[in-house]
This record gives sequence, structure tokens and C-alpha cells, in this order.
Amino acid sequence: MSEPHGTAKRMAPALERQWLQGAARFIVLLCVCAVMAVLTRSDEYGLVFLNLNNLLNIVRNASILIIIGVGQTITLTAKDVDLSVGSVLSLTSVVAAILLNRYGIPFPLAILAALAIGTLLGLVNGLLITQVGLPPFIATYGTLWVLFGFAYLILQGAVIYGFPAGFRFIGNGTLLGVPMPIVVMLAVFSLGYFVLYYTTLGRRFFATGANIETARMSGIKVERVIVIAYVISGFLSALAGLVLIAFTNGAEARIGDRYLLPVMAVVVMGGTSLAGGQGNLAGTLVAALIMAVIHNGMNILAVPAIWQSLVVGLLIIASVLTDQWLRRRA
Amino acid sequence: MRPTGTAILLRVPSAAWVILLMMTVFTAINGRYLTPDNLVNIVLQNAVLLILSLGATLVILSEGIDLSLGSVLTLSGVTCVLAMKHLMASGVPNPLAMGAGVLVGLLTGVLMGLITGGLVAVGNMPSFIASLGMMGVGGALALVLADSTAIYIDNPVFSFLGERLDKSIDGPLMQYLSMPTFIAVAVFGAVWVLLYHTPFGRYIIAIGGNESGARLSGINTRAAKWAIYVVAAVLAAISGITLAARLEAADSIVGVGWEFDAIAAAILGGTSFAKGKGGIGGTVLGVLVIGVTRNGLNVIGVPSLWQPALTGTIIILAIVFEIILSRWKEGRR
Repeated sequence: MSEPHGTAKRMAPALERQWLQGAARFIVLLCVCAVMAVLTRSDEYGLVFLNLNNLLNIVRNASILIIIGVGQTITLTAKDVDLSVGSVLSLTSVVAAILLNRYGIPFPLAILAALAIGTLLGLVNGLLITQVGLPPFIATYGTLWVLFGFAYLILQGAVIYGFPAGFRFIGNGTLLGVPMPIVVMLAVFSLGYFVLYYTTLGRRFFATGANIETARMSGIKVERVIVIAYVISGFLSALAGLVLIAFTNGAEARIGDRYLLPVMAVVVMGGTSLAGGQGNLAGTLVAALIMAVIHNGMNILAVPAIWQSLVVGLLIIASVLTDQWLRRRA
Repeated sequence: MRPTGTAILLRVPSAAWVILLMMTVFTAINGRYLTPDNLVNIVLQNAVLLILSLGATLVILSEGIDLSLGSVLTLSGVTCVLAMKHLMASGVPNPLAMGAGVLVGLLTGVLMGLITGGLVAVGNMPSFIASLGMMGVGGALALVLADSTAIYIDNPVFSFLGERLDKSIDGPLMQYLSMPTFIAVAVFGAVWVLLYHTPFGRYIIAIGGNESGARLSGINTRAAKWAIYVVAAVLAAISGITLAARLEAADSIVGVGWEFDAIAAAILGGTSFAKGKGGIGGTVLGVLVIGVTRNGLNVIGVPSLWQPALTGTIIILAIVFEIILSRWKEGRR
């Protein structure tokens, strides 16, 4: 067991170690890229994987995972977990889609509404856990199904597509040549990094996750800290959903389903421990890139989607086992 | 303590209040709700869920959670039907093919349980993440094996396992009895004996109450925990096989979300993650809360689009009610 990172003194070495671990993961990322580049090479098209468009595509796909993953990393740092991220994403993007297309609401308002709902849902999760006293995975697994029910109800099984150009900019546009999803992701990541490692609130996430009783006794309002973690997670899931539908130009009730397993895999692969108090945001970023590379490679190789979810499930298990093994040796 | 009126009222589980409330509301809306036929229907529709929920209860009693149960249900149904179909195609008689198919389904459960339990008990993984991974793996395997569709099976001996008795036996009251109900009752009895009359059952409760205390008192907690997940997965396999018999098909996504109903049923029945509280008696009530809700919404004619959202909301509210009520009871004690 490593020590809790509750105090300012211990923060610096912890960060340093995280960067080292991050570097190790970066090497893994390069290796995975190399393997994929070789596997997907064809005589006709050469190294298709290394094509600039393909690489941008990978980072753009990873962006959605990273935006959700930042929230999940913060939640796990506080020793909680948010299993409802996919459903929050579905519901908020469905609401945004309806507001844009059926009611013709100006897109900034639709965006605000979706973000507000995501924040509110995070608040509900947080209150179910801190006030009602449900275990986090029960509360958020429950809201997962309820929210899916509402997304399904609102859309009535339909698929909505074709959004106004102004809205599509956040998924489809570019800023100084960089695709918008990547811009949004970088902004979220930097802000998350600043909050988690350089603010009092960030230290409180670590303290609460490392030892909730100690944190409480040292005067931290742990319930409030946990609620804030879920609010952040809800907000970011909604944001990820907006970027996603603006990019794909379509929304349906199950759009977020496929994100829960990869997000969990990515956060744990990144070195954020399920035992709490050990958030590693840089790790989440690199792991999301690894995941996106694997997905992209499997797509180029035309691996059926079903097999891909098998791979993701195995990746979760393998990465947690490795994490546990490393921790026991440390 | 001398039982006073309030004390007796307090002993009524909160799930019973919820059931009473819902049945009153449904009866008020539609007079046809409270008929013997419909009540029998509720029991038949929920026999499979009860079997699954018993497994979920055992896991929760030990302070764990198994999110892979729905996937195990699906996968076992698929392997059972696939094996049976292959055997029947190669000329094996129906009863024998059924026996082999059921065995394959059960073994699938054992295998999944061994992996999940091994990851939790030996690999020291938190149960929600180990079972989340296995949920992905099991669900994907079912899709691959069944080629993303439903596999139909025509084996009268097998479908008997899922039928009402009046389909094959003449006699009074036969329309009120069904094989899934019998299977559920038998499984309930077996789990009851396992939980309350064997050392293993006491280990489960001891682990949930205080795991390190249990270990220090000489219980092999690692082996016991492992076994809990195997038992839960076998129960999931039994429910998957029974469901396949009832539908006369193994669908590749039939079990998606069932683990939520099963876990909710256990919690509604008063099983909590704290200190090994609860038991399988309450789970029956928890299953009925869900069953009564689903059936009632159907009978009073709520459009199917509304049902997932409404059922989910009602279940969550019922859970919140159960927890607040039990906390209030604690306070009075």
C-alpha cells in the first residue's frame, strides 16, 4: 500500500512518479502504434495507419473518451465511481438534439440546457450516494438504466440527424487547423489537471479518496467533495455527448452505451487506482490514446464490432490485474 | 421487548408496503388487475428473475456485487441451446439432447463464476470492476456464438421446462402451475438450505459482516468468496436455461440489464451492503415489487415507450424508501 497523498508535501513526488509512469505508458502507446502500423500495412496503400488523417482521426476519437475520462478519474480519485456516464451522455445529447431540431432552439441555448441537465444528473448521483447512502456503484448503475429509459422515451426510438451548422462547429470545425473535439479535449484536460493537482479542491479529492474518515476529521466536508466529483463527471459526460453528436451529426437513445466499458478501462489502465486517492490524469490521456489506436487498428483490419467489445472487457480485467500486481510489489 | 402494535407494524418489510401501495393503485385504475389469472401471470413472469436475484443476494450479502449476471444468463442460454441443437441435428433423441444442453449451460455458468470469483477472491479485484469486465466478455461471447440473433429450438422436452402445466397435463388447477415456478421454488429451497443450514452459508454472512474477522476466526475467506461467485453464476445459468425454455429460443441480448433488476430486487428485499444484513426471504418480496410494477404498468395500459423510464424511476424510489425506512427503524431501536 502506498501512502495517502493528502498533504502538499507529498503531492510533488507523487506527481513526479506519475510522470514516470506516464512515460512508461507512452512507450506502450508507441509500441501499440508500431504494431498496428505493421499489421494494417497493405501493398496497395502502404502504411495507412500513419496517414495524417488517420492519426488525427484517432486523437479525435480518443477525445470523447478523454473528456468523459477526466470526470471519471476525478470521481475515482475520491474513491467513488460513476457507472452512469454513458447514459448521461445519451440523455443529454438526445435532449440537445430534440431542442435543436424539433423546437428550433438557438444552439447556444441547447448546449447550455444539455450541460445543465448533465450537471443536475451528476448532482442527483451525488445526493443518492451521500444523502441516501447508496453504495456508488448501485446508485450510478441504477441511474444508468433510468436515464436510458428517459432517453428512449424522449426519442421514441427515432434517430435524429442533421444539426445546424453553428452547432456542428464544436464537433466538425477546426480552430487554427486543429479539429474542435481535440481543442475541447485539451481545454478540459488542462482545466482538470489544474483543478486536480493545483487547487485545494483537488487535494480534497485525494484526501477523501485516500481515507474518508481522516479527511472528515481534518475538517473536509467530504459529502460536498463527493457531490462535486459527480457534478463534474455529469457535466463532462454531457459535454462529450455534445461534441460527439456535433461530429457524427446524429443522435439516438443508445449513443452513449458503448462508452462505459472503454472509459473504465482507460482510467484504470492510466494508473488511477480503484482503491481511491490515486488519480492519474496524464495516464488517462495516454491510455485513451492506446484504446483509440487499438479500436482504429481493429476497424482497419475489419474486426467485427462484437469482438471489439470482447477485447475491451479483457483489457479492463488485464489492466486492473496489472495495477494490483504492481501495487503489491511496490 | 413486548410486541406492541407499532412494533409489529415496524416488522413488516418496506417492500411489502410498496407492493400493497402499487396493487391498490393498479386495482383502482383497472378493475381487471386483481384477478387470479393475472396474479398467476406475475408469478410465472418473475420466476426466472427470482432465481437470478437469489444469486445477486448471496453476492451482496458478502459485500460484493456481480454485474455480469445478466451476461451469464444470456451466455448460458446460448450455449445450452446451441449444444442441444447440434446434438439433435446429429440424431440424438430429444431427452438426451436436452440433458446434455442443460449440462453445457450449467457448466458455462460454473466457468464464468470461476473466472469472476477468481478475479475477486484471488486477484483481489474490486467486485464491481471484475464483474463489469466479465459483463463485457460474456455479452460479447454470447453475441459471437449466437451470431447476434436468436437461435430457435424445437425440443418439446426442453420447452416443457418453461411451460404452464395445463399445456401438457389435464387436471384441476393446472392452469395455475408452471414449470418455471416449480424450478424457482426448488432453487429457493436449495439456496435456503445452503445459506441457513450449512457452514458455507454462515461463512457468506460472516464475510459480509466482517471479512477480516471471519478470516481471523479461521474461515478460508478466499475459497468461500470464490465459491459465492460460482454459486451466483450457476443460478444465473439456471435462470438463463429456464428463460430459453420458456421462449423456446436463446436470444443473444436477452439478459441485458437483468442484473440491475436482480440487484435491485435484493436491495428492495432489505439486503444491504452493510454488515451482512438481509436474506433471501426479502428478495422474494423485492422481486415481487419489480414484477408487480412491470405487470401493472402493462395492465393499466401504459405505452411500452414509457415503461423503461417509469419502471426504473419506481424501482429507484422504492430503494430510497427502503433505505430511509430501515434507517428510521434503526433509530427507533
